[in-house]
Amino acid sequence: MRKGLFLLLSVLFLVGQAFAQSRTIKGKVTSADDGQPVIGATVLIKGTSTGVVTNPDGEYTLQVPEGSNTLVFRSIGMQDQEVTLKGSNTVNVVLHPDVTNLTETVVTANAIRRDKSSLGYAAPTLKTEDLTKAQVSSPLNALAGKVAGVNISSSAFAPNSSSRIVIRGGSSIAGNNQALLVVDGIPIDNSSIIGGDDSRSSIDFGNRGNDINPEDIESVTVLKGPAAAALYGSRASNGALIITTKSGKGRQGKKNEVTVNSSVTFSNVLKLPEFQNEYGEGYNNSVIDPKENWSWGPAFDGEMKEWGQSINGVRLQKPYVAQPDNVKNFFETGAMFNNNVSLSGAGEKTTYYLSLNSLNSDGVMPGNYDKYNKYGVRFNGSAELSNKISTSISVNYSKVNSNLVQGGQGEGSVYDNVIQTPRDIPLDKMGDLNNPYYSMGGIFDENGTEQYGYYGAYTISPYYILKNYRNENDVDRVTGNFTITYKPLEWLDVVERVGADIYSDRRAYKYPKFNFVPADDAGNYSKSGNVHSSNGKYGEDQFNLTEMVHDLMVTARKEFNPDFGASLMVGHNVRIRNFNTLQTQTNRSTGLVVPGWYNLDNSDGPVYTFNERTTRRLVGLYADLNLHYKQMLYLGVTARNDWSSTLPAANRSFFYPSVNGSFIFTELLQNSSISNILNYGKLRASWAQVGNDANPYLLATYFNKTDIAGGFGNTTFPFNGVPGFTKGNRIGNADLKPEITTAYEVGTELNFFNNRLSLDFSYYNNRSKDQILNVPIAPGTGYSSKVLNTGEVENKGIELGLRGTPIRTASGLTVELYGTYTKNDNEVIDIAGGVDQVVLGGVGGMSIVAAKGKPYGTFYAQDIVRDPQGRVVISAADGMPVLTSTAVYLGSYNPDYMASLGANISYKGFNFGILFDTKQGNEFYSRTKDIMDFVGTAPETAAGGRDARIWENSVVEIEPGKYVENTEYTYYPQNWFTGKIPSGQHVIDGSYVRLREASLSYRLPAHLLKRTPFGSASIGIFGNNLALWTASENVYADPEVNSGGASNEQGFDFTAQPSLRNYGVNLRITF
Amino acid sequence: MKIKNRYITKSVAGVLVALALSVTGCKKFLDVNDNPNLPEEVDVPLILPSAQAAIAHVVGNQFQIYGSIWGQYWTQSPFSSQYKVIDQYQPSSSSFDRPWGILYNDALEDLQIVISYKDQEKYKQYAAIAYLMKAYNFQLITDAFGDAPLKEAALGDENLNPRYDSQQEIYDSIFSFIDQGLALIDPSSAFAPGDEDLVAFGDDDDTNKMEEWAAFGNTLKLRAYLRLSEVDEAKAMAGIAALAGKPFLTQDAKIKYTATGGNQNPLHAEMVGLGRTQNLVASATTVDAMKALDDPRLPVFYNLAADTNIVLPIPQGSFNTTPDFEPSIPSYVVGAHARNSNSALAPVKLISAAESYFLQAEAAARGWLPGNAQELYEQGITASFTSYDIDPGTYITDVVAQWPAGTEAQIEAIITQKYFAMCGNQGFEAWTEWRRTGFPSFFVRSEASVLGAGLFPVRMLYPNTELTRNSNFPGVKTITERVWWDVK
Repeated sequence: MRKGLFLLLSVLFLVGQAFAQSRTIKGKVTSADDGQPVIGATVLIKGTSTGVVTNPDGEYTLQVPEGSNTLVFRSIGMQDQEVTLKGSNTVNVVLHPDVTNLTETVVTANAIRRDKSSLGYAAPTLKTEDLTKAQVSSPLNALAGKVAGVNISSSAFAPNSSSRIVIRGGSSIAGNNQALLVVDGIPIDNSSIIGGDDSRSSIDFGNRGNDINPEDIESVTVLKGPAAAALYGSRASNGALIITTKSGKGRQGKKNEVTVNSSVTFSNVLKLPEFQNEYGEGYNNSVIDPKENWSWGPAFDGEMKEWGQSINGVRLQKPYVAQPDNVKNFFETGAMFNNNVSLSGAGEKTTYYLSLNSLNSDGVMPGNYDKYNKYGVRFNGSAELSNKISTSISVNYSKVNSNLVQGGQGEGSVYDNVIQTPRDIPLDKMGDLNNPYYSMGGIFDENGTEQYGYYGAYTISPYYILKNYRNENDVDRVTGNFTITYKPLEWLDVVERVGADIYSDRRAYKYPKFNFVPADDAGNYSKSGNVHSSNGKYGEDQFNLTEMVHDLMVTARKEFNPDFGASLMVGHNVRIRNFNTLQTQTNRSTGLVVPGWYNLDNSDGPVYTFNERTTRRLVGLYADLNLHYKQMLYLGVTARNDWSSTLPAANRSFFYPSVNGSFIFTELLQNSSISNILNYGKLRASWAQVGNDANPYLLATYFNKTDIAGGFGNTTFPFNGVPGFTKGNRIGNADLKPEITTAYEVGTELNFFNNRLSLDFSYYNNRSKDQILNVPIAPGTGYSSKVLNTGEVENKGIELGLRGTPIRTASGLTVELYGTYTKNDNEVIDIAGGVDQVVLGGVGGMSIVAAKGKPYGTFYAQDIVRDPQGRVVISAADGMPVLTSTAVYLGSYNPDYMASLGANISYKGFNFGILFDTKQGNEFYSRTKDIMDFVGTAPETAAGGRDARIWENSVVEIEPGKYVENTEYTYYPQNWFTGKIPSGQHVIDGSYVRLREASLSYRLPAHLLKRTPFGSASIGIFGNNLALWTASENVYADPEVNSGGASNEQGFDFTAQPSLRNYGVNLRITF
Repeated sequence: MKIKNRYITKSVAGVLVALALSVTGCKKFLDVNDNPNLPEEVDVPLILPSAQAAIAHVVGNQFQIYGSIWGQYWTQSPFSSQYKVIDQYQPSSSSFDRPWGILYNDALEDLQIVISYKDQEKYKQYAAIAYLMKAYNFQLITDAFGDAPLKEAALGDENLNPRYDSQQEIYDSIFSFIDQGLALIDPSSAFAPGDEDLVAFGDDDDTNKMEEWAAFGNTLKLRAYLRLSEVDEAKAMAGIAALAGKPFLTQDAKIKYTATGGNQNPLHAEMVGLGRTQNLVASATTVDAMKALDDPRLPVFYNLAADTNIVLPIPQGSFNTTPDFEPSIPSYVVGAHARNSNSALAPVKLISAAESYFLQAEAAARGWLPGNAQELYEQGITASFTSYDIDPGTYITDVVAQWPAGTEAQIEAIITQKYFAMCGNQGFEAWTEWRRTGFPSFFVRSEASVLGAGLFPVRMLYPNTELTRNSNFPGVKTITERVWWDVK
């Protein structure tokens, strides 16, 4: 097979062969990586030991005797390359880096570098180029489609938007299911605190993991399972991302390098809903009502008609036709400027890396209101102080400054108002708030009452919202660590590492106070019923995190004989986390006193406050034993004991072990012919347990300040000066135990044809038991929930990664293909005695639940009844479908499978990359659909007309279990879509195929740069989230947009902001 | 080699000492799980007002809305949509999660805690009030939902799946709670609660509140026994006979609200939260009946329609028909005018003075309580006018002059007048008395009703939270299934 491949390559790329006497061959060897000369590469005449080494310019000269016609080029870290001599005496060769280098080291838990072969678990690694090619601003989104088993939900693809990373499925019913983020050995916080009252009026302030600047990342290793992450203990039961930032390593003896990378990115909305364009504003197919947000009016007839309010006796006129692009043209093209400068260098015993970056963006909303700015500075340095002590330090400061736009259905939601616009209203031309017909306030009647002239009585001008509603965010964050390594003996080292993650996240909400009555003097609007009124709000939130981590690790290594060696590490870990929340706002009912003054002093009545300080501490002791026999058999055993402050003293200590092994079976086949095909083969297996502690303060039942939540209004204490406290609704649990996750995994890594094709396969099974869960209980108990150790969730699945290089030529053309496939089966095995499900999110009529026997994150809503043949059962009373008597399960947000396919093609200085990925079989709830059905703008509201009709392919139940075709009972679509349609009808197929990334870059040839100060220069065009193909029933939204941010509430499009297509140009130069 | 060994010994020893120190210091280091944010114990006077405000929130908000729509004082506005399902008689079970939760989690649980201090002299009067509020709370619960957890309720951890008691047993407990409360009352106690007892009796602050509480207990008992008039007449009669000569309320027992956000009338707070959208408008059922008698209270309970000097209602449940006028809306005096901030000041009446007189009048008319029924009837109507400071003109004299003969007709007159007095301020009690007596007799079918002809909502639905979380949940009941005492 290998021969076959070479034959194929010969046919494709070799054009005959010239005869020659002994001759002089000259040439230059360059690296495909950066186009730089490869110094010290050996050039051998094949089959002999005759050869030379390239000089500092990468050049060589070699006498080749007659009869020899093949040269072999070799260099460390590069793949060998054979070149068959042809007529020319100049042979320039491009060497490709050995991507599947067998001696590759992987950064594993606690920043320990390990030989990849020795790992008994899957730990794929991505390098900086893999992450930054398409200029994705989120380091998490940059992983999407590149690693099997990793589910990235990338939400809106704006620089502020949250991304969620779940490895091998959600396993914790109530906890955080995301992978742990570890930067240079220190776990960092990845909170995502959604702004707004809840996910139904969410403001996506992003997740803290996206504070990391992708340009600073050297590599990311994905530790998928508990086995890999066992040393991190509790928090890594969901896997971990081990991020290593850049350093000056490898620059010893070279000049300092300055890298400048600048890009400009343009954004537009990737997927907007499709709209019907046949019916206009109004209802009952006949009435044009100028104040309506409904498009249930008469069919378009093209005649000139009046619309909107009558001001001073005059109304606007326009032809009664559809405005097909009134929503699309509302949005503008966003722009983002991303600038990075980094310096790196090394002395004999020191290294440093310093980088500065800025990201400035103005999003797709019209005007300059949706702003997001991020700045960062990173310094990484190391020094060897003496022969025995070395130190390193890594510090990152980042700052975010933004004003974000609310989604959902809150009064400040722009998108909610945009998509309700009737099909004939030219929303995109109504941005001038000074035009009385488009105004919100600003015009006065003779009594001085402020009026609005905007057409909508049930919607507010989105231009007014953009201008007047502000959600400002200010984040300052410092993360970093220092490490001291003391190596008293050749075989012993002691590492002390202290890290910190400190941030303050401050938010200010400024919502206007107003009271506008319609200006209309024609009687189409009700002065009392069609008021636009709000008491306004000023709110300030502060979230402060201080997290300190200490690790002391002592490692001893011993090679007992040439074949057998061992290492043992024991370590000690302390973690302290303080998280303080302070939320304040002007009185929740009465709001502001003076309009336009945003300060807590302007509260009409008592200021609302919520403050909470939490402290948690954890002490751990761990050990890690590694044994190896030859380069063939590896065994690793870890053990860890944790003591947690959040568990009762009797249960606070918990122990958990793990074991993993790998067998490089190809070591036994070295001399067999199989090795020509299968050059590397590894089997691996692991088993692990990980314990997890609780959140703080779950052990007791507390009193709260009394605040009786009535629905939309509250009774809050102090009540007329009288203070009041009430027993809290959660029963604490003084006997809480740690949760335990048990996991096993088997897998293999196979490399074929001298690493031209590689495969990585895993099967895993994770079970999480005794979950710490706040279980809802019957309110008749006097409480609404109780903290219990209960619940069990299982995840099992397969992961497959494939990578191949079908084409690689001496002239430098390389075509590399790669792909991943992931299938995860998730099941909630049990919750608690008597409780069958726990609500993770959703709205009143549609919950996202963890339900016994169902996948985690299943939709639960009322739907329509079908007969055994799947036909819709109609109610004779109204001709509309019969609704299920209770909510039913409607699939989950977990995909049946995920896959990706990518290619990298490089030739000379050109590099082209493309990546598609897909999720299939997942559902999502779309309120975008719900509201578009309700207002009659969705295509399905017009499909087949709007006259009374018979539901297609429907039946009537004439006696229990007996169904006959419905030929007589009709209904009006308006009645269905505005009244009876149940929430279950808005749970739709979330499958997609996405063109996630594409990029084309060109690196200027070195000779062009010779007279410039530049070492290298490249220019590229890139795009991410470029195209999306969704299930045919989904004409509404990108299924990845999510109103729940990065929480467990996924698949929840509660009129979430649409996702963005990003594309642009970038320039990278070094000097 | 020796040097090397010393190194090893030193380093290993150093590490071990460090580890040992950190493990032994561990316990203190880890004892940081005492919640600094919330207390585990608070003083009794802080708990009582929470429970009172919780009950008033349900009476004044959710039960007021359901009661006043099903009691046909109000109906859904054609210009908005919030309460369509109520007028359609098809609320979802989850709509009742919140009131049920407030009555059990916020009110009952706190009342139990207060009662648990009844043996301490200092808290005896608090416990007395808590017993009476507990009785009031359970009457609300059972009148709304029928059978409900009582004996096994609010036990927290000890019983996660409380069994339901029959309404009959609940009523027995209500009488017992009232008796226990009354037994604890000591008007001369030096430990009577001050401002932390949120319930006011009238507007005179000088009254001895514990005496008023005793009157509250008696009146509540009268109301509870009368509720059984149709299902267990003998019991009702005996219970009421024992009340002869006891003092009853002569003032509204109410909670007063202010304009301060969070301390506003709960219905108004709800409306403000909904952006001041006016969902509730005048129903023709009540307005037409009051108009027929030229009731001077009509323009007080409702606003005049825009640009008119009359109250213009729309038919019950007619929100699908857009009228060519702006219908009248309930006024601020009942807390239901969304854009009038004076609505915030409307009190929530737990038991009104008028109600007290009408209860006595009915008991007298039935011959169960000594007294002149007609006189008490007149006092009831007068108390209603007094409560809103309205000049009755000749209304009271005219109405009292129509005092009919015969117990049944007198009861109809009493309940109908009680119905007018409760317009928009005691909606739930008015709807409940209609269920018991069938009066007033002029209710119409909501135009939006999804129920068959002649069918009305006669109970609230069990909340979704009980249905899904309580393994001893006895099974759903439809909105047309009557509660135990509703046999007429």
